[in-house]
Amino acid sequence: MNVRVLGVEVLDELRGIVREPAALFFAVVMPVGFFALFSSLFGEPTMLATFGTFGVLAVSLMSPGIGVARDRELGWSRAKRVSAVPVGITLAAKVVAALPYAVGVLLAMTVAAALTGSLDASAGVLLRVGGVLVLGALPFALLGMAVGFQAGTNASSAILNAILLPSAVLSGLWMPLEILPGFAASLAPFLPTYHLAQLALAQFDGGGGAGHALVLAGMTAVTAALAAVSYRHSRL
Amino acid sequence: MTQEKATADTVLEIRAVHHRYGRALALDGVDLRLVAGECVALLGPNGAGKTTLVNLVNGLLPAQAGRVRLAGGDPRDAATRRHLGVVQQSLGFPDTLKVGELVTGAAVRAGMPRAAAAPVLAELGLTDLAGRRAARLSGGQKQRVQLAMALVSDPALLVLDEPTAGLDVPARRRFWQILAQRRARGTAVLVTTHLIAETAAIADRVVVLDHGRVVAAGSPAALAARLPDRTVIARTSLGPARLAGLPGAVSVREDGDHVRIGTRAPESLLRVLLAEDPELSDLRVEGAGLSDAVVGLTEPTEPTEPTGSTEQTGKVGVR
Ligand SMILES: Nc1ncnc2c1ncn2[C@@H]1O[C@H](COP(=O)(O)OP(=O)(O)O)[C@@H](O)[C@H]1O
Ligand SMILES: [Mg+2]
Repeated sequence: MNVRVLGVEVLDELRGIVREPAALFFAVVMPVGFFALFSSLFGEPTMLATFGTFGVLAVSLMSPGIGVARDRELGWSRAKRVSAVPVGITLAAKVVAALPYAVGVLLAMTVAAALTGSLDASAGVLLRVGGVLVLGALPFALLGMAVGFQAGTNASSAILNAILLPSAVLSGLWMPLEILPGFAASLAPFLPTYHLAQLALAQFDGGGGAGHALVLAGMTAVTAALAAVSYRHSRL
Repeated sequence: MTQEKATADTVLEIRAVHHRYGRALALDGVDLRLVAGECVALLGPNGAGKTTLVNLVNGLLPAQAGRVRLAGGDPRDAATRRHLGVVQQSLGFPDTLKVGELVTGAAVRAGMPRAAAAPVLAELGLTDLAGRRAARLSGGQKQRVQLAMALVSDPALLVLDEPTAGLDVPARRRFWQILAQRRARGTAVLVTTHLIAETAAIADRVVVLDHGRVVAAGSPAALAARLPDRTVIARTSLGPARLAGLPGAVSVREDGDHVRIGTRAPESLLRVLLAEDPELSDLRVEGAGLSDAVVGLTEPTEPTEPTGSTEQTGKVGVR
């Protein structure tokens, strides 16, 4: 029965995403456009991992978090809370609904890489990169929801962007860390986004990166606790 | 064993419930019981604690003190809420969902087949609106959508918080008609309102809440006969005790340098009042608002137990 409920919740979320094309534009077209531009300039195959991290991050951090904030602002989250649906399912649906979105971004980037002639990886590597990024997005979705339980829609959007953009730059998602000032490179290992990108990059040279995976697992535990506390103290 | 028997058809049981927001006391010892098929109107002025009580029943708020049982379970458990249908005071729908999708979704969430939506949409006159985005409906239509979502699971208890606030008279009437049909099918209803006139149309029993306490209870007719329907307002030198002794005075309240006297017989009251205070000034007579009407009520007229109950509970809401 819970599978059916999850199905309905995911369907509602997907409708929300597909029927609001403006949000789709920013979350898909912008990262993919950037990627197409940079990869045609530099033609570096591993850019798929770093820009892919950014694309998946943008979706997973923003979409569930802003969705939670908007539902609260509407009063819609109260309707869910008085229903017979356990809250875990409602929240899982928000994360699951962001997945096709994230996969879409990765597919679009792969196509863009092929078109600009910078695609140089086996299907196995591409699948592993995609798998790592989609799974590794979970802690960021949880962080987004922790913010969405406290802040309004506009404030959540601003806060999450203020997290997203500096993290992207300082983790070397847009430009390699080597060309950034020295402090960025020494700061990067403290950012979870850096570890996600490194884990994705590691797939290009045959896997590894257990240390990065461990950091992300720890980050998932921390953000899950944060989201739970935030939910419990949220105003409906 | 005897107690279990007596409560076998109890749908909702609220006992000695208190609720505080920070330091402010919103509920101050409320008891209430509903049996299957019964319709109770919770009547009270703004700030009386109606929404707080409703939110304890629908599981949005935890019970700080006292006990709330819904169909024998704790409404804080999601599974217990399968027996509950809720119409909330201010609910917005996501702009991206259509009426049919909302009601179908509500059916699935309640463990019903998707096909359960169609008859309820028809019952509430929403079939033609099924393809419309819910956020673009009129107030009356939105409330009917909420009701459809609440009814699709055929709940044992329907809880409605001021469901007709903001609706025009035809929309109101239509809403109550639909509700009456459901009551005839055995659904218990707890509905809040601040309009005494509405209670006669919907309720078997009215429970009056003021400052978080049950101050009166009884049939709509009995209460209407007891609550003042006019307020006499004037500037007078007579003291409150003297005013309360006037013929037909039900309640007396001081409001700045005026007094407000609730009554059902303003003519005879005024005759005596004018005779006793020749200096009386600034006289007005108004229809009594609910806050005027409930002032002076301090204890229930009848126990707030369903008729025919064999269970003994203590006096309700009396200090
Ligand atoms: N979230 C809240 N925080 C603080 N005070 C509240 C809150 N909700 C309600 N109150 C207060 O509790 C009292 C009862 O409110 P409420 O249950 O909403 O009454 P009603 O629904 O009868 O108008 C009021 O005095 C109100 O100001
Ligand atoms: Mg209210």
